[in-house]
Amino acid sequence: MSENGEQIRKSVCYFCHQQCGMLVHVKDGKVIEVEGDPDHPSQGGKCPRASIWMKHHNHPARVNYPLKRAGERGEGKWEQISWEQALDEISAKLDQIRQESGAEFVCSAGGTQRTHDWARRRFMNLYGSPNVFHVSHVCWIPTFMIETAICGWSPFDLDLPSSRCVVLWGHNPAEAYMPEMRAWTDAKRNNGLKIIVIDPRMTESAAKADLWLPLRPGTDAAMALAWLNVIIYEGLYDEEFVTNWCHGWEQLVEHVQPYTPEWAEPITWVDAEKIRAGARMYATNKPGNIQWGVAVDEIGKPGGAAMHARALLRAVTGNLDAPGSDLIPGPNQSMLTDEEMECNECITKEQLAKQIGSDRYKTCSWPGYSKISGVAKQVWGKSPPTEWMCEAHGPSVFEALLTGKPYKPRAMLVLANNTLLAYPDSRKVYKALKELELITVMDYWLTPTAMLADYVLPTADWLERPTLTNTYGCSDFAICSERAVKPAYERRTDYEFWKGLGDRLGQSEYWPWETLEEAKYYRIYPLGYDVSSYDDFVEQVRFSFPEREYYKYGRLGFATTSGKVELYSQTLEELGYDPMPRYIGPAENEDDDPELAREFPLVLIAGSGTMPYYHSEHRQIKPLRYLHPKPRMQINPTTAKELGINNGDWAWIETKRGKIMQVAELTEIVHPRMIFVERGWWFPERDGREPELYGVWQSNCNVLTSGEPEHCDNMSGSWANRGLLCRVYKVAEEDCPHG
Amino acid sequence: MARWAMVIDLRRCIGCQACTIACQMGNDLPPGMFWNLVTTVGPTGSYPALRLYHIPRPCFHCADPPCVPCCPTGASTQRDDGIVIVDQDKCIGCGACIMSCPYGARTRNEKLGVAQKCTFCVDIISQGKEPYCVSTCHQRARIFGDLDDPASEVSQLLVSENTMQLKPELGTDPHVYYIQP
Repeated sequence: MSENGEQIRKSVCYFCHQQCGMLVHVKDGKVIEVEGDPDHPSQGGKCPRASIWMKHHNHPARVNYPLKRAGERGEGKWEQISWEQALDEISAKLDQIRQESGAEFVCSAGGTQRTHDWARRRFMNLYGSPNVFHVSHVCWIPTFMIETAICGWSPFDLDLPSSRCVVLWGHNPAEAYMPEMRAWTDAKRNNGLKIIVIDPRMTESAAKADLWLPLRPGTDAAMALAWLNVIIYEGLYDEEFVTNWCHGWEQLVEHVQPYTPEWAEPITWVDAEKIRAGARMYATNKPGNIQWGVAVDEIGKPGGAAMHARALLRAVTGNLDAPGSDLIPGPNQSMLTDEEMECNECITKEQLAKQIGSDRYKTCSWPGYSKISGVAKQVWGKSPPTEWMCEAHGPSVFEALLTGKPYKPRAMLVLANNTLLAYPDSRKVYKALKELELITVMDYWLTPTAMLADYVLPTADWLERPTLTNTYGCSDFAICSERAVKPAYERRTDYEFWKGLGDRLGQSEYWPWETLEEAKYYRIYPLGYDVSSYDDFVEQVRFSFPEREYYKYGRLGFATTSGKVELYSQTLEELGYDPMPRYIGPAENEDDDPELAREFPLVLIAGSGTMPYYHSEHRQIKPLRYLHPKPRMQINPTTAKELGINNGDWAWIETKRGKIMQVAELTEIVHPRMIFVERGWWFPERDGREPELYGVWQSNCNVLTSGEPEHCDNMSGSWANRGLLCRVYKVAEEDCPHG
Repeated sequence: MARWAMVIDLRRCIGCQACTIACQMGNDLPPGMFWNLVTTVGPTGSYPALRLYHIPRPCFHCADPPCVPCCPTGASTQRDDGIVIVDQDKCIGCGACIMSCPYGARTRNEKLGVAQKCTFCVDIISQGKEPYCVSTCHQRARIFGDLDDPASEVSQLLVSENTMQLKPELGTDPHVYYIQP
């Protein structure tokens, strides 16, 4: 506390999950300034979102009190009620559903971790429902689980500056992860790091790369298999590592023999020589990294094969847990992990077996999780969390709501999730949501999804809640940050929501912590610091990074059945999947369905992050909206000319599922056969009531995407945002939106 | 006396507009008014042989600023430390300076009826802080400092890097230098 009564709180911005460190100046309980924290690993920068904290924190449209629906669903009539009443009524309904139908009839949809998900899982486990999900099936989790199946824990940790080469595979840190982009640029300037970008579009990151491989969306498996072929058949592999530490080398050598760069060229639209150049650059500039990105999690049907093949590249080059390579962090051994907070022992196997979608998509649900994490636990002593890694499959839940198969859920508890914009085939999602008896939404805003809810609950923003950063409970480190101010109005954290429901449903003994800080203190206490509270820890310690240990496999082996990296995966085979990756084409393509391709000749890219927005957020923040007022689709000028579309025209983008309109940007960033559409668009300035729902049908890219089983990855359930077929045409003058 | 200048490393800029918004928020500008836009150049070429980069454009605080002598009221002046400022009380909003600036750095605040522009955040640099656009930049693409101090990072960069000024042929001698992409 300074002389003028000003206090500086060590916080993190949570407008995206990078979680950059912020120093928040507080006076008289109000935030007066936010500065980037130079002592945080993010090094003190602030992206456009971080600068608008005040506009977000004080926005007149924020939901500040619990609301109960007063009219018909979607009519926009609300009654302000107390938290006590909201929690009493919601918990009574949950109790009734459990007694009448069973706990599995209650689901929960979550968002990108602006929540404390161990608390959600704790509640749901104690309540008895396995039907918890995020949008994780298109966000790294399929990659994490396949990599963990193969080498015992996903090797996502970096070791800059020793690295000599990085592959940004379907990853655009220049628009999504500002501090990471700086790290790459620094390493390139200071150490001559080679940067390879694999991306259909000439992204900001691709513009800065040493080599850009512009592949057709959804053909990542072909690219990865061809790289394996080059590295193995040109003798660029790490002989000692594959001999001593890999299981199934002989099989893999034979398996990838047909996958030559010449085979991959017509599939990926990348010259065979360029494919070779990429494989050679990665294999000969050791140590190297394949940095985690989420594009491959978003290609649906071929996604599992692609991430599987990509993971094997690290093994054959020995780029695993060696200095400068991709490091295997393993779980946090010193503090209580997310998994240890989830009460996973409190739900029965009988209930877990009812997890929707787990019969088909196994790696990220109970059948695969139990197997993969079971092996991991034998070596590490701890497991990855069930939040994210063991979830119901969102699109299958919506299917169940419409078909009643395997059963029809009755309630959905939604947090930090704009469901109508978050899942594939939004019109189907809309119909499904209408089938629910109870929808509760905890959010900052009355989103299109909140407009369909029975209860809307006000949530605390990042200035108002403490955050513990630990990569979804999967890393060995922890960064602890404190809340800057108490929540304004009646905003609460999600922890209080779950505890409030738990207390009413007989779970009180499991919720001994009154506040999040108490719970977090309980978690960090085993670290052994002489601190009196969580905030005290933040003030005095804040960062807990264990001493780095390389080559852990030398001591522990790899956490797989064979104790080696499984080039031939016994775990995947036992789950009924290919033990080695086999090429699968894009979710929709001309070879599998020539008729469809005649009708829809272009290839769609949807779901990418674009500055200054994050997912479906921030369209009501004026300074950001002025920068980027309208949804933009990108089309190559040659294609646009053929279609009579000019720069700035509204254009229809249509797939088999439906059509939306966005404003055409004519640009060489995309190949003439590719169409890029922006995600997350709704229009907070429009009428929120049915049928308008803030214009959610106009430009929402998920009207176009598919979560049908035929388009999903059989292993993980990843659905298809990219590699679908579409067509484009100009919007008639009279149909163009005004303003 | 200092001579303030900025070096912008176009190899690092990713066009995220963090500087644009930090400037707008820090200087309390109305929505839609920018002192510090970032211009994208490209992509030039044909897919996939492309080139793309960005040019952030603050006021250049030229050594010979055309916007100062053209001001009929004396509102536009240059301080001894090189910073060009507009006295809001003297400005009548005639727009002469806006037209005279070859870099489009000036803009009209419609609400106040005056010309405004980037000030190198004159109020906060006097407190020893960096301009908002500099401290916000995750990529460390902007370096701010004193050209009269040969040990300053900006002075060092002008020696060690291949920097350029925009439109040097005009003889305005901008004090914002770019490291080429």
